[in-house]
Amino acid sequence: MKTLFFIAALICVLNVPAQPNSNFVKENFTKTETLIKMRDGIKLYTVIYSPKDEKEKYPILLERTPYSAGPYGDTNYARRLGPNPTLMNEKYIFVYQDVRGRYMSEGINLEVTPYLPNKKSKNDIDESSDTYDAVDWLIKNVQNNNGRVGLYGISYPGFYATASLPGAHPAIKAVSPQAPVTDEFIGDDANHNGAFFLLDNFDFMNYFGKPRTGPVKDYGSEIFTENSKDVYAFFLKLGPLSNTQLPKYFNHKSYIWDEYLQHDTYDAYWKARNIRTNLTNITVPTLVVGGWFDAEDLFGALNTYSAIEKQSPQNNNKLVMGPWTHGAWESAEWKQYASHYFGSNTSKYFQDTLEARFFNFYLKNKGSFDAAEATVFETGTNQWKSYNTWPPLTVKQTDYFFNAMQGLSTQKNNEAGFDEYVSDPAKPVPYTNGVFSRRNNDYMAEDQRFAAIRPDVLVYETGELTEDITLAGKITADLQVSITGSDADFVVKLIDVLPESEPNFKNAPRGFEMAGYQRLVRAEVMRGKFRNSYEKPEAFEPNKISNVKFNLNDVAHTFKKGHKIMVQVQSSWFPLVDRNPQKFMRIPEAKESDFQKESIRLYHSSKIVLPVLK
Amino acid sequence: MYKLLLVGIIFSFSFGSTAQNLDSTWFVNNYSKKEIYISMRDGVNLFTSVYTPKDNLEKHPFLITRTPYSCAPYGEDKFVQLWNSYKMAYAKENYIFVTQDVRGRYMSEGMFEDVRPFNKNKKGKETDEASDTYDAVDWLVKNIPGNNGNVGVFGTSYPGFYSTEAALSGHPAVKAVSPQAPVTDWFIGDDFHHKGVFFAMDGFSFYPTFGKPHPVPTKNYGNGFTTPIKDNYQFYLQAGAVKNLARMIGDSIKFWHQMYEHPNYDSWWQARNARVGLYNVKPAMLWVGGLFDAEDCYGAWNSYKATEKQSPQTNNKIVMGPWFHGQWSREGSFLGNVRFESNTSDYFQKNIEVPFFQYYLKGKGSVAEIAEANIFFTGENQWKKFGSWPPQNIEEKNIYVINNNQLSFSKNSSAPKVGGMQDASKDFYEYISDPSHPVPYTEDVHNNRTREYMTDDQRFAGRRPDVLSFQMEELKEDMTLAGPIIAHLATSISTTDADFVVKLIDVFPDDFSYPQNTMSNGKDYPMGGYQMLVRGEIMRGKFRTSFEKPEPFVPGKITHVSFELPDVAHTFKKGHRLMIQIQSTWFPLADRNPQKFLDIYKANDSDFQNATIRIYHTATDETKFILPVIKK
Repeated sequence: MKTLFFIAALICVLNVPAQPNSNFVKENFTKTETLIKMRDGIKLYTVIYSPKDEKEKYPILLERTPYSAGPYGDTNYARRLGPNPTLMNEKYIFVYQDVRGRYMSEGINLEVTPYLPNKKSKNDIDESSDTYDAVDWLIKNVQNNNGRVGLYGISYPGFYATASLPGAHPAIKAVSPQAPVTDEFIGDDANHNGAFFLLDNFDFMNYFGKPRTGPVKDYGSEIFTENSKDVYAFFLKLGPLSNTQLPKYFNHKSYIWDEYLQHDTYDAYWKARNIRTNLTNITVPTLVVGGWFDAEDLFGALNTYSAIEKQSPQNNNKLVMGPWTHGAWESAEWKQYASHYFGSNTSKYFQDTLEARFFNFYLKNKGSFDAAEATVFETGTNQWKSYNTWPPLTVKQTDYFFNAMQGLSTQKNNEAGFDEYVSDPAKPVPYTNGVFSRRNNDYMAEDQRFAAIRPDVLVYETGELTEDITLAGKITADLQVSITGSDADFVVKLIDVLPESEPNFKNAPRGFEMAGYQRLVRAEVMRGKFRNSYEKPEAFEPNKISNVKFNLNDVAHTFKKGHKIMVQVQSSWFPLVDRNPQKFMRIPEAKESDFQKESIRLYHSSKIVLPVLK
Repeated sequence: MYKLLLVGIIFSFSFGSTAQNLDSTWFVNNYSKKEIYISMRDGVNLFTSVYTPKDNLEKHPFLITRTPYSCAPYGEDKFVQLWNSYKMAYAKENYIFVTQDVRGRYMSEGMFEDVRPFNKNKKGKETDEASDTYDAVDWLVKNIPGNNGNVGVFGTSYPGFYSTEAALSGHPAVKAVSPQAPVTDWFIGDDFHHKGVFFAMDGFSFYPTFGKPHPVPTKNYGNGFTTPIKDNYQFYLQAGAVKNLARMIGDSIKFWHQMYEHPNYDSWWQARNARVGLYNVKPAMLWVGGLFDAEDCYGAWNSYKATEKQSPQTNNKIVMGPWFHGQWSREGSFLGNVRFESNTSDYFQKNIEVPFFQYYLKGKGSVAEIAEANIFFTGENQWKKFGSWPPQNIEEKNIYVINNNQLSFSKNSSAPKVGGMQDASKDFYEYISDPSHPVPYTEDVHNNRTREYMTDDQRFAGRRPDVLSFQMEELKEDMTLAGPIIAHLATSISTTDADFVVKLIDVFPDDFSYPQNTMSNGKDYPMGGYQMLVRGEIMRGKFRTSFEKPEPFVPGKITHVSFELPDVAHTFKKGHRLMIQIQSTWFPLADRNPQKFLDIYKANDSDFQNATIRIYHTATDETKFILPVIKK
């Protein structure tokens, strides 16, 4: 989430040359700032940019954000408006609102504000009601509006876009949740399958979790200063999660951090923060957007789309998935990522062909919006593909078994066999290769050879493929394991092994070899104790075979002929994910002495189920 | 060995200033080239290129390099690109440059023999490299017009070996010799082996071309072996036991197979230890080497030391700088991520090598500024001069492995536990060494062995479960090491053999950065907390009592393994930490020990097995490192 913040700042800079001049906004829009009163009397700070050209009425494009509606002040104009430059040039009334309890708005901010399905009084408020009240005020008070409102937002603002949908104001005609924060225990940001995303959380909450006493234009410095050049070493030295509350770190100054450490299962706190359950009877056209390389809210995009699809089947609901990192679809140009070269400007394509047409059609009756149900970029072949459903109906779930001699095959053999490694919390497997002071944004397509050569990483691979194999949809890891401790994490990584004939990519460092590159396609972690239930964790019985089954997020990827499919399995992914003490317990309460080595066996009856497109 | 050749070619393209264009014109206009065969005492003719200055106002000395790497370019109209080198300084002083293809290589006749043994008692027409040098020098001083009768010899790497042999020629005209990174002992410390461990990757990338037969003189040996897998870690792992490399290289590469027949330091290898001839050395000697030379660091230090010991009357000096193999003839301000804050190569060329030859061959200038030992100390980045090496004012200080992954000057001290680092409540540390997952010698994927690994950040290694890391408290004052380090490991292994790699590491402070405006490799590498390899060395456990007679380990029995790491010259600055890492593989730099006592050259893939390695720290079985600390 924080990364987005930086990316957005960067994009603003990059986009400037595309505009006629840097005063474009000031010359073409009138800025007004206002406080809009909610039903409970709390006022939310709102910035309105109206086109100076008043020859026609305009729809409103609204972004509700916890990251500031600024710049504040009548004379300070944003350098760009709206989700993309094409829409800015189209002329909309662009509105930004500080959400309740953030920046210049009054009230109290809650982490991923729970939705209240049965509001009984004016004091029962949530993001849906705040959006309703804001929209209601805007269409009644903003000059020259056409009575239609669209919402959009990336990341946390994506959540606020989604939150407008249940009980939506009738003026809301189009909503685009983009990388929406959706379920912070199961798959977004804070936790994946109950495993705590230490690196991102620690960094983000140091900034975002800072308390305020009232409306502020600036939260000032972070809660604490931490400038480690090597986050692997820093977090290892930090030790157990409870040490994050030491006086020099969070020290209970962030209520969200306190909540994170308090709620270590999928309890009522987290369930109330799963907006998906409320996406029923949605009638507003939606365009859900996500990135295959989004380290933060890939889960949210895919599962917001599928929740609407399932629970509001009649809704006009569409999905766009591109080869993007968190929010990269907003950049002026996105042709490459890590060692991928996509061959076209994928972000520009999205902005002009999908996003602008979506809002123009539903808010201005302009043009047409004929996007397919699902528009997805397929990596490997580097092509946009259109499908009538997502996942496509022609997908066949195909078992790939972990065989002896590091084999990966659709043929099951030697069921009794197993492979074994020792998982040592004092020497966790790094999630990336090298020394970094923050999360390496390339890790989601990084070469996994650095991991394959470790003794605590198991590797399985097919032979060279004799034909292309395209995957479209969700992946399931279905492991049979036994462990000597009472808990363990399982990280499963799906990898595309490039052939020896693969040429080096442009500007490759001296001596670098693309041949044999083990490109990460998709990875996920599962905290073992949640294997049967996220609500009620269960200890493992030492040395007894247990089934650990979990999903990896969807992919759209072609393994080309001559490539190999590889799977790696490991029990740490550090410091992306906190270390499991490998002892069944409340991990936020673990002491240094609770962390123990354990032996982990993975039986050859284990498999990964791949969605193979026919 | 051969890397230098490639490096040379790359560097010649990277220059190209107007000054060099002027120099190239000057060299061609002021020198003439002749190619001649010089007949040795046994009638074999050696191909020789002679570049003579046109100046005849005075008589000129010779500078000779004898080489197995060819005196190319061939053709009297084709000039070596001296203008791309500091050696242009000698041209401006009108030296006569001679390059000779050694016996049996390139355009020379005869039979080549790798590191041909020195024959102390030559009779009649018997030859060795010393006699070939004698015969060449004798012919040159008698036949090349305008020479002043003085001969200097120098050369780097394999030519460094031929320089060593030239010093033993006994020809009175040879006045000054500078063996640089001289190939010296291919079993104990240079190139092919370190302490009996086969450096298979360096060997295999060098020898398939170098080792080709030479039935007749040739200008070109053709191509070498192209590995089918570009990632060298994967290639050597999949190649498996080293016997498979012998199969790949083919029967014609004779020396490769000879090495396999001599798995121990037997008389065959002992005869190929260039130090055996270093008695009664007549010329002034200037040994030159790189502290971070991945190939012949051992040879430079130990040839100097052998001469000191065996030929005490010799005018014998040494220069060691912070260099990769041959870096002293190139840019010398950094190696990898580590910076030296001055151009150390330029210092060496201008203040040491050129004055050395000028004085002994032309009687010009002075050698007063060239000390017995001229050593660059990394860490503090200063040249230091000493009257002996190692210096006199050394105190041997032990550092001990103690609990909680710490090192201490006191073996009885106890350290508190730090965060999530490994705990050891027991009196030993333990890891499993798995030959199918060997510890990489460097980070990332590479096709060739890097030369930067000698100063690389070791953080990548410390993260592995099969690498033990021990570190000291932050230093409260600078600590300077000068000399070899002795590792003394109290170990037990679950099998009958294992390798032990010991790495001495300087841990930089978290806020470390180099001063601005110091020359670097241009990469923005995080230097805070950098774990700089200062010295690493490997020991094949079975040679712990003798390189001649290997002995198996008794599984589970505590055994002491001691070995010497090549000399270091490094200052651990105040606020830094000293770290030691211990591991049992260093791949693919060093071949894998099957961890079973046998002749590893005959090992099958099926012989390789896991071993559990323990490192003890008890009252009776201590693990310690003896450091040569300069007294304050």
